[in-house]
Amino acid sequence: MATATPAKPTPTLSFPRPIFAALSPHPFLQAHLTSTPNTPLRANGRTAQETRPIGVNTDALTHSHGSAVVRMGNTVAVCGVRGEILRAEDAASSSGSLSSTADSSDDDDEGGEEEQNEMEQLRLLVPNIELSTGSTPAHIPGSAPSTLAQTLVTRLRALLLSTHLVRLSDLRIAYTPPANPDEDAEAQEVQVKGYWVLYIDTMFLALDGSAFDCAWLAMLAALRATLLPHAFWDEELETILCSDEPEKAARLRLRGLPVPSSFAVFEGSEDGEGVEWVLSDPDAFEDSVCRESVCVVVDGSQGKGLVRRVEKSGGGLVDRENIKVLFKKGMQRWKEWEKVLEERK
Amino acid sequence: MGPETILSHLHRADGSATYTYNGYSIIGSVNGPIEVPRRDEHAEEATIEVNVRPAVGVGSPKERHLETLLHNTLRSITLIRSIPRTLVQITLQIRSLPEGEAAVGVNSSLTLLPHLLNTAVLALLSTSVPLATIATSVLVAVSPKAPTPLLSPTATELLRVKPIRSIHVFAFSGERKLLLNESDGAFSVNEWDEACEMAEEVCCKEGGVGLGEGMDVDGQQINMEGWLRDVVRRKVELEQRWRTAD
Repeated sequence: MATATPAKPTPTLSFPRPIFAALSPHPFLQAHLTSTPNTPLRANGRTAQETRPIGVNTDALTHSHGSAVVRMGNTVAVCGVRGEILRAEDAASSSGSLSSTADSSDDDDEGGEEEQNEMEQLRLLVPNIELSTGSTPAHIPGSAPSTLAQTLVTRLRALLLSTHLVRLSDLRIAYTPPANPDEDAEAQEVQVKGYWVLYIDTMFLALDGSAFDCAWLAMLAALRATLLPHAFWDEELETILCSDEPEKAARLRLRGLPVPSSFAVFEGSEDGEGVEWVLSDPDAFEDSVCRESVCVVVDGSQGKGLVRRVEKSGGGLVDRENIKVLFKKGMQRWKEWEKVLEERK
Repeated sequence: MGPETILSHLHRADGSATYTYNGYSIIGSVNGPIEVPRRDEHAEEATIEVNVRPAVGVGSPKERHLETLLHNTLRSITLIRSIPRTLVQITLQIRSLPEGEAAVGVNSSLTLLPHLLNTAVLALLSTSVPLATIATSVLVAVSPKAPTPLLSPTATELLRVKPIRSIHVFAFSGERKLLLNESDGAFSVNEWDEACEMAEEVCCKEGGVGLGEGMDVDGQQINMEGWLRDVVRRKVELEQRWRTAD
């Protein structure tokens, strides 16, 4: 074959695309980013700032109180929220202090200190992450939860608690004893008879980068869709009953809309010299090549942009000024998320 | 004023350090470079393994998260390419936590993280694993009750200014690069910027001053880089004492 084309000496060695990517991932991504200097394109065809479109579908699961399927490119997560009743006498903390705070209004947008503590101590929110078989090549089915899954759960739980997303008053099952004509009306106080515990299970059907963003979006969409039946204390049976009338069921009133945006930082050369690229919404291949990652969580729902969380680790390429730029990008992403989630209402 | 440290006090480990500060006490030990299990082996670089052991009980997902953060940060300051196909194993055992730590009401893994990172760097220095740079880390807390952000506050100080609006962990390299940042709470970009600047001031103060000169008037200000330099200077002095002895 080679003898038939004597015109030009062909390049000594060339690989097809997937082999190049598998053999030397770092030069592969670098070749992509440097081949068109004006508009650097990544290996997946996106520009550095471009994110993947978000698709959200809610109430797909019938046996949960709220559910959502979220798709961001090839990352797909399903989240189901299931409420279970925790009776006050079974709760771990002392019940004496609980009844006194039961009537305190917590309709403000900032969760109180006690509310936060109670929520955390009673573990009323239980997020969990599962990777389904075949979702990612790195996942070995049948083994204990991987470091990735455990890290994700910790981050999700920390964000869930620190943003005060769920109101404690929505989860409390309160009971006001009927007014006794002999007694002063003031003496009637609201008693907490139980709590809703929300089990928030997220399963990745496919995992292609930005796992935290996708899991959080699935959780947020599922919590927004959650419809808890009306639970009440029945005096005669002395137990908590749930009403089966659909019009009495209530949605959760979430506080704000915190939106995470993940970024991966790709250094120009492996020695850390040269230019770096900050890639928005990285996929699994970019995640594996990039050492440094940044995740900012912003909330623009109260008019002014508020930062709820910053996570950055793995290197020193992104400095203070860069992170401020990422806050702005996070706000743009927030608008996208808000649009998608409002459509589902 | 800086953290108390004891270097190389464990005899079976390749390097070790005990770090005591603000009621936190952590023992760090490093073994390495040692043989790496086949499945963790990298052809071009060393594998770093971090184990965090809590003061009570066994490790939970919270520790896994801390390990991931420490692993990413330590990998970026270690010259892993100069010791390929080896393993550097870092174990951090928490000995004690300050009293009232649980009542502070902030994410306890964030208050612990700077201490773990400082211990790990000390243990790596004691082992003489090749490092590209050092890392120093500090905690900053912002509260509406305190006029200025609190720098590496103690548990009692945090209790006094409850509720805390936001809490930040920053780590800087010797070249003043921001290596790690974990911020939690509700804060504006400017508040974050101010906290970051304060942390940078503490972590990498210019001029390589000694520990005594780095102190502020009220004795509160600490200088992490100066402290680390002082620790290394004492270590080198101890190792070189056979030369200076008469």
